[in-house]
Amino acid sequence: MTPRAATHASVIAVDGPTEVAVGADFVLKIVSSCPAGCDLSGVQINVKAPDGTISIAEPATGGADPAAPRHVALKAPLEPSEHIWRVSCTAHESGGNHHDASLLPVPIRTRPYETSLAVWAIPSPVVTGKLFAIKVGAKSAAGCDLKGMCIAVCDEAGAVLATDVLGDTPWPGTSALYWCELTLVAPAEAGMFSWSVKFDASGLALPHNGASSRFSIAIVRPPEHRLTVKVIERETAAPIENAHLRLGAFRAATDGSGIAELMLPKGSYDLDVWKSGYEAPTTPIALNADLAVEVAIAAVPEENPDTAWLM
Amino acid sequence: MVKSTTDCEGPASAEVSRRAFLSTGAAGVVLAGAGAAEAQGVAQRYWDRSADIVVIGAGVAGLPAAITARDLGASVIVVDENYDIGGRGMLSGGRVHLGGGHALQQKAGIKDSADQIFADWVRHDTADARYSDRDLVRVFADENVATFNFLVENGVKFTERPIGPERASTVPRTFITVEWHIPSQVIAPGRARAGSGLVRQLELAARQKGAEILLQHEMKSIVREQARSGNALGITSDHNGTVVNIQARKGVIIATGGHTGNVNFRRTFDPRLTEEYQQACMPYVHQGADGELAAMEIGASLWATANQTAEAGSAITKTRHIGCRWGYATLVYEPESPMFHLAKATGLTVVDWQDVIFVNQAGRRFWNEADGSYKFFAAAMAYNGDPSKLNGGGPIWAIFDADATAREKWNPKPPNVDPDGFFFSADTIGELAGKINNPHQKKPISSQVLQETVNRYNGFVAAGVDQDFKKPTPMYKIETPPFYAAWSTPILHDTLTGLRTNTNTEVIDIHGDVIPGLYCAGESQGGFAQHGLARCLVFGRIAGRIAAKRTA
Repeated sequence: MTPRAATHASVIAVDGPTEVAVGADFVLKIVSSCPAGCDLSGVQINVKAPDGTISIAEPATGGADPAAPRHVALKAPLEPSEHIWRVSCTAHESGGNHHDASLLPVPIRTRPYETSLAVWAIPSPVVTGKLFAIKVGAKSAAGCDLKGMCIAVCDEAGAVLATDVLGDTPWPGTSALYWCELTLVAPAEAGMFSWSVKFDASGLALPHNGASSRFSIAIVRPPEHRLTVKVIERETAAPIENAHLRLGAFRAATDGSGIAELMLPKGSYDLDVWKSGYEAPTTPIALNADLAVEVAIAAVPEENPDTAWLM
Repeated sequence: MVKSTTDCEGPASAEVSRRAFLSTGAAGVVLAGAGAAEAQGVAQRYWDRSADIVVIGAGVAGLPAAITARDLGASVIVVDENYDIGGRGMLSGGRVHLGGGHALQQKAGIKDSADQIFADWVRHDTADARYSDRDLVRVFADENVATFNFLVENGVKFTERPIGPERASTVPRTFITVEWHIPSQVIAPGRARAGSGLVRQLELAARQKGAEILLQHEMKSIVREQARSGNALGITSDHNGTVVNIQARKGVIIATGGHTGNVNFRRTFDPRLTEEYQQACMPYVHQGADGELAAMEIGASLWATANQTAEAGSAITKTRHIGCRWGYATLVYEPESPMFHLAKATGLTVVDWQDVIFVNQAGRRFWNEADGSYKFFAAAMAYNGDPSKLNGGGPIWAIFDADATAREKWNPKPPNVDPDGFFFSADTIGELAGKINNPHQKKPISSQVLQETVNRYNGFVAAGVDQDFKKPTPMYKIETPPFYAAWSTPILHDTLTGLRTNTNTEVIDIHGDVIPGLYCAGESQGGFAQHGLARCLVFGRIAGRIAAKRTA
């Protein structure tokens, strides 16, 4: 008498992402198994997408391992939300035994692509009330064409100071940074200001999040007096070329004679000098008229084995 | 008396091997290759090779040891795990810090003496000298002139321009060797690796005098009569998968070069030194603490360990070539180097630290980028908020923009950078954060955090003051696309502690007793923390001399 076939369960296991970008391609790895050890590698497994499209998970090829996962290539919907893919097999006979149908819902969240911003060519400092220009670029994480999309510059309170649209071609050296140049008016008061640029991503065919980034600008009073600085080496009195000078927001670099000239408003400043390999004191400057100063800096070995102490 | 290489016995037949064993006078059977702990009668093995002296390591300590031992008539086998000789000396700048009034000092009008060297290097007012063993310093001082003369007699050439005074020294003592004349034998040619002229010439002298150098022989253990007692008898080594046991009738000299490449070992002294840190001279030289570990297995002790963490000298250094895995100060592997396939990139050499900011694994600045002091390293290795990374600070990344590449004249493309985990570029700072992917970067850097870090720094540049870390006159904004992130994790350089020895370089055990027949010189020797080549040369000579004179 032929023994009666047993009824076994079909178990489906899925490995895949829990979140993908909208419209992104992704892969689910599917394994079907029987707790009693029956070989289910030949069983048909279907994957039903959120829109009802059915894909067949073809058995893994190139190996005899019945536990090898089947790879199914899928595409995420364009709507940002949580979506369910349904992985199933029908009731079937395998290994001489009956196996029940099985269904595994696979939730995957889809998210919009990110965008990001760069702000550059910001002049520094800017004189109160003067016009100045900055460059702003926006980038889609999906590399989308952003030409014609809107950029806005806002002040600390969020008021829009200027708007423009991104140009036709990416900034040289970048893959897809679309950019524009905006003209702005400096505030009437001197000081440090932190403004922001905003990118509104609505309207793109592929859903994106917008982006915001801030930038700083130094606003100064109009220049009144000329400050001439000569930088020399302390021991030899030799002029130091390309020494960098800072007086707050003001800056300059010395020429071959060790001299730099700056136009500054009246006021008190700390004059700092920087050159790699030198040490310089901070020099207080009280500027009420044109002024010339000399700063002596000292050459010091860098605390680094490549200059101070090689093996 | 100079002997030919045939004085070294080997490769040995079984008969020769047994004779070699019997000549040691030890009772019972020959037990080699299992390490001292196993050498208690478990497995019987025979010596494959035999010599009076076995030197482990063909570098700046091992080569003078071998030459000196041959000068005194001992047969010598030198083993080295590498495919070529030299160790870190091959890649060094060749700056030999020997004084005492030698000929080049005299020619330059420099007055110096052994007593002055001693006085300088036991100074209490500098951590470079404070923690050293003064017995060793005294011997070092007394042997300076003789060691300089030894180098000259063995053909080492120097430039005559004195450099210094450096570190604890009060008179100029550094003279630079002349780079080896065959570029293909320099390992890192084209970058003033003058140390090649030292080690290649010493190799030539050692071979001419009859020392046998066995490359790709990795020492696996030092064989002692009993686990914790008796003479050191020889070593076991591995040659491409084959065990080669080498008997040392008079002595084994450890000259393996230090421990900075062994993460577990180096953390003995500083738990912060986790796996992400670079090592000077990698990938040519590993510095795996092999000699220290093998000696400690048979009872040796360490010595003057405070030197390793005294925050003096060059135990830790700032990277100079960024965007490559190994960016040590003056060392660059050009594409012509036989090491380039491992180094993978030359790196971008930073001239002005104003051109970059450094961020930690969290995407935040941590210190003034223009600083290179131990305060910088402490900040780089500080805990930065990751509960899964309590020790070590994780990777450090240099962040910069297209304007910086123009100022520095960098071409941020291979072979200058290694995009396989050590260099990244992107159109925006936010995008750059997401691209940084490296085995040591355990979590992605937040785009928002990195963007805020850069925005804040750019604000400091506009204002002229770094309110966070007081970088002097912060000069350049990081604003012009594209943007870059380059590996800039600090570099571990000097091994400044190691095995305890007496002034004869005899290794001392944990009870304070000599391990007969075991010697140590170079960076694996503890007690004298002076940076560089000189202490390796001096104590290498002493080890070779004392071992050769030992009665077998």
